[in-house]
Amino acid sequence: MSSRRSAVAVLFGGRSVEHDVSIVTGQQIMAAFPADRYETVPVYITRDGRWVTGAPLRHLNNFRDDALLEKPGIEACLLSPDTRHHGLLINPLAGRFSRSRVQRIDVVFPALHGSHGEDGSLQGLLELADIPYIGCATLGSALGNDKIMTKLALRQAGLPVLDDMWVAREAWAAAPDAIVAQIRDRFDFPIFIKPACLGSSIGIGRASDEALLRASIDVAASFDRRILVEPALTDSVEINCAVMGYGDEYEASPLEQPLGWDDFLSYDDKYMRGAEGMKSADRIIPAPIDDELAARIQALSIAAFQAVDGRGIARIDYLARPQAGEVYLNEINTMPGSLAFYLWHEAGYSRAQVLERLVQLGRAAHADKRRNTYDYPTSLVSIASQRGSKGVKRKG
Amino acid sequence: MQNDWTPLVGLIWLAGAWLRLRRQARFYQIEEYMSRRYLRWLLAARSRWLPPRQVAIGLLGVALAASADHPYDSLAGGLFALLAVYPKPQGKIKKPLVMTARVKRILAVAHIVCALPIVGVWAAGAPSPAIGGVGLAVWLLAPGWLAMSNWLLTPLDAIAKRRFLRQAAVVLAQTQPKIIGITGSYGKTTTKSFLRDILSLRYQVYATPKSYNTLMGVSLAINRDLADDYRTEIFISEMGAYVPGEIARICQLTPPDIAIITEVGPQHLERFGSLETVQKAKYELVANLPPDGVAVFNWDNAYIRAMHERGYPATRLTVSRELSLAEARAQGVTWLAQDIRESLDGLSFCAIDVASGETAQIATRLHGDHNVTNLLLCIAVARREAIPLRDIARRVRSLQPAENRLVRETTAAGITIINDAYSANPKGVISALKLLGMHREGARLLITPGMVELGALQEGENRKLGMLAAEYATDIILVGESQTAPILRGIEATAFDRAHVHVVDSLEQSIAWYQRHLRAGDAVLFLNDLPDTY
Repeated sequence: MSSRRSAVAVLFGGRSVEHDVSIVTGQQIMAAFPADRYETVPVYITRDGRWVTGAPLRHLNNFRDDALLEKPGIEACLLSPDTRHHGLLINPLAGRFSRSRVQRIDVVFPALHGSHGEDGSLQGLLELADIPYIGCATLGSALGNDKIMTKLALRQAGLPVLDDMWVAREAWAAAPDAIVAQIRDRFDFPIFIKPACLGSSIGIGRASDEALLRASIDVAASFDRRILVEPALTDSVEINCAVMGYGDEYEASPLEQPLGWDDFLSYDDKYMRGAEGMKSADRIIPAPIDDELAARIQALSIAAFQAVDGRGIARIDYLARPQAGEVYLNEINTMPGSLAFYLWHEAGYSRAQVLERLVQLGRAAHADKRRNTYDYPTSLVSIASQRGSKGVKRKG
Repeated sequence: MQNDWTPLVGLIWLAGAWLRLRRQARFYQIEEYMSRRYLRWLLAARSRWLPPRQVAIGLLGVALAASADHPYDSLAGGLFALLAVYPKPQGKIKKPLVMTARVKRILAVAHIVCALPIVGVWAAGAPSPAIGGVGLAVWLLAPGWLAMSNWLLTPLDAIAKRRFLRQAAVVLAQTQPKIIGITGSYGKTTTKSFLRDILSLRYQVYATPKSYNTLMGVSLAINRDLADDYRTEIFISEMGAYVPGEIARICQLTPPDIAIITEVGPQHLERFGSLETVQKAKYELVANLPPDGVAVFNWDNAYIRAMHERGYPATRLTVSRELSLAEARAQGVTWLAQDIRESLDGLSFCAIDVASGETAQIATRLHGDHNVTNLLLCIAVARREAIPLRDIARRVRSLQPAENRLVRETTAAGITIINDAYSANPKGVISALKLLGMHREGARLLITPGMVELGALQEGENRKLGMLAAEYATDIILVGESQTAPILRGIEATAFDRAHVHVVDSLEQSIAWYQRHLRAGDAVLFLNDLPDTY
């Protein structure tokens, strides 16, 4: 174990609107793992949910090629929930002339953003497989991915969030007028309308009048079944803070203030500025706010991360009115684009150091889980089977 | 003259021979396919190799066939052959034949070897009596065919064995676990199971089962349990040895990252010759560590201390239960047990990391001073693998003694039974007797056949056992008069009342005695190699 490199499966792509961003994040992670101690295994999940592995997945340029999956070296694979495999089943549907095999994996790095990756579903599979993995577990991922549930959890933990209400698609279809009346009764324009479970800024609308409100809800309802409605905080700036940790050891990064938004960040602004993703988006680091507020935001970030049972890494986004000293938690990204490398860089972490810390945290969480007992001895089965056999006799 | 019935004689004898092969294969297997040992067993009783009834009937058949005309010669020969080879009931079988690949190979070859002479004489046109005679001979010689087939298969077996070993190496290579090797004259199996339970707090651990500690045993465990299991992070390999070189060979298959030496003592001395040879054999485990490997030594044993002084590898951990803290510091011992107490509830002691000063109070249901050393060895490794001392202490509290190794229980009749039936050794014997001595109420009965396989030391150690027994027991039953004579001499050297010593021939008699004489509150210690059913 000491002499051997750890095999890290880096999962990227995925059935998500953030598929392409995830490819970039995945490439960055694979490039940054120190090769002397880690052997990365690329696992690409296509837009329609096929799983493949192989050397061609290590080059970003190959993803421009439509025939990527036909390239030599690409093999189908799946992450086995069977604990004995402890890794990938490669070529699982082997035919007569090919063999399937197991690639042992020590740690899984789900570099997936949004649905089917950052929402707890993949984490569930990893729990079944009993392999250490990076990032939040099922609960933390699910809470962070759902904007409605995030705010419920944070509010319950006594953390500052904006007032909100949520609308179900069915209710909207049945009685739109009543819902609009309810919203207008409660909030003043401008109002934000957000699909509950979509990452980035897709489907988000900002309404300054009733017509726009109705249109925005229609748009949001086409992305998700549940829609969050909240008042917009005028004259505010966005502040982001990254957090890393597990157990009783958390740390918060320096803060950033993203720039270049008109009314709010559009998807293109957020990710399409360059191949390096988020890194080259325009931003000010550290955010130009006073130290006291900055320290408060950092403390809030750790508290918020703990409130959703966070582990590993997250970027927490705020809306703030620096002059008034007002700050509201907006959302939690449990697998931030580019892992917020640029923020950790400010904190003195190299990319490799961030990754190693995350691996360490994932392993610690896994070791902790091993301390739980899952195998409570019970004689239930033998009792039941005895009863069963008695029943058979009686019938006979 | 041959006729239509002639082949029948040959076929019946052949069928009989095949049946005899199968039955004999069971004994051959029990003797581990060692032809010399098997033949010695066979020749020890004439009824085994020359069953008189069958031989008489067979000879009669041959004689009748020779005096009769055809076709009656063949019919008589066939009939008597059938009577001769008709299988006797076997009685109760304790250990049936296990159809391993090896037995199958041997039987297959033996079947052919048997058939050759019979088919040969038939094809040569020999008459019925001749075929019957050859058939009888083939039938009688069945044990020989087994040995011969085995000999013929030697090259094939070597290939099979090599393939088996290679397969085990491939299986290990797929997960590349950290390997911990444990050896020692005694304490191996116990330490192995403790270490597995403690390391499982944090890691996926596999330990070779029971006492699988030979090269083939370890590779069997790997091939059987680890193929298709890619989880294993730590592999604990118990390595036993009867001759120098054996451990080195196991190390080739399971190259250790960590080596643990529990004890060097007179166990199996008969096969080794001297304690120096034992020491040399055990050191092979340390010598096979990589330079950055870790060796863990029992400092309280002078032979093992000498291994430590050879200075390899750089990282050497040592444990002691005998030194004081000042001595431990001065001698650079890593882990120390202090304040060792043993009561009927088990052991307790304070484990000290001498360098850092970290301590933990260890309490366990286990008995016997030697288990303090076994636990310290495990603690040293587990701490090295980054498991917090507090967690280790908690786990130790619920450790179970290995089967038949100083297990204490109370029967429905209220009699306490201490079972230390597995491979008693001079140190274990003292622990067991001390435990017996802790029962202050009622009678304290020792039942023992004495210690074996201690070579030149056997006489003296058994004499010592007798003197110790006199100190801790109130009644003593010795099983087997001649082998326990040294124990009796030891007892007689003390003031122990000779009327409380009973010599019996069998375990059954000793059981009967204690069932008649002991009552609630009394204690009985079974020492060495007794069935676990009592």
